[in-house]
Amino acid sequence: MKLILSEKDVRILDHPPAPVEQILLEQGINPLEVIVSRNGKVIPEDTIIAADEEVRIIRIAHGG
Amino acid sequence: MGGDGMSNGGVKCGVPHCSLCNEPAVLCQRHLDLHLCKAHFIADMELRVTNTIKTRQMIAPGDCITVALSGGKDSTALLLLLHRLLPLWEDVRLVAITIDEGISGYREETMHSAEHLTDSLGIEHHCLSFSGLFGHSLDTLLAGRESQACTICGILRKKALAVGARQAGGTKLATGHNLDDESQSVLMNIFRNDLPRLVRNSGVDSSGKFITRIKPLSLISEKEIATYLILNNAWNELPECPYTHYAMRREVRSMLSDFEYKHPGTMFNLIKSKEKIERCKKESVVSESLRSCNECGDPCSGDLCQICRLRQTFG
Repeated sequence: MKLILSEKDVRILDHPPAPVEQILLEQGINPLEVIVSRNGKVIPEDTIIAADEEVRIIRIAHGG
Repeated sequence: MGGDGMSNGGVKCGVPHCSLCNEPAVLCQRHLDLHLCKAHFIADMELRVTNTIKTRQMIAPGDCITVALSGGKDSTALLLLLHRLLPLWEDVRLVAITIDEGISGYREETMHSAEHLTDSLGIEHHCLSFSGLFGHSLDTLLAGRESQACTICGILRKKALAVGARQAGGTKLATGHNLDDESQSVLMNIFRNDLPRLVRNSGVDSSGKFITRIKPLSLISEKEIATYLILNNAWNELPECPYTHYAMRREVRSMLSDFEYKHPGTMFNLIKSKEKIERCKKESVVSESLRSCNECGDPCSGDLCQICRLRQTFG
């Protein structure tokens, strides 16, 4: 499983299929503070991610 | 939860379905246990913003709504939404106002983003700067007092927006404050024992001395705003203000976000509690009477307005 948080922060995990929410919490990320996309599509936190999939995690910056 | 997906090690891997149709969901509204697809999410958000505006009578026929557009995500979503919803009201126009505080390495990108957005929507856009209005950039003013960044910037920006709105002929000033911002403010005012500020409602001013401020996104979460922008191809990954790490709000934001995650509905309940306190406030206990600043004559609650008090501290 591949988590892309930014160009400089890409995490490869040896992880069985699991909900996005569980994966984020294990990485110390509050699911309310990010948006997750897979194949360019936004997905909710209860989406199950397969072991060989790649997801992008977009941090929501404060302000604006 | 329903959902299409592939099989992977005996586990079904897929996206939950929208609770209202068969399309893949993009977001789950946890407090309602409701999954929404792109179309239903956008429609839901636009309806909720419309309801907030109508219920609180934020817009009236003939209004000129000046939108405080920093170029960040909240004000970008606000301008997009108001631009889309505007046909619901008669004879209402939008003007965007951007304040360049003068924050090196940060403001350039958001200013550019604001200009691009107003150009693409064909909305009149006014830019003002701290340097032009107050003689110095924020970076210069903050030298040696960075820990006060948000307080000083907030006071000056409020004044700058009021000047910009007046120059643009605005009847209302719309800001992109969202549910997270508003609930954080409730907690911060309580932490500071600042009850007058807690119950102050700049949207209601019978004196006519202030431009009426409206917050159409005040019941929309930060995550919903970001999702709305991404789904509308209007998301820009912009830098965070370099002064935010000095701010108490940053700590409150993190704490409240954790609490909201564990207890969905917490932020909304904080807003409801504030509104209840507003309704039953005793004037003598928490309200401040409106006076005029001894120096400049602007409306304020003490002898001097915040700007003149700030000027004194700068010598």
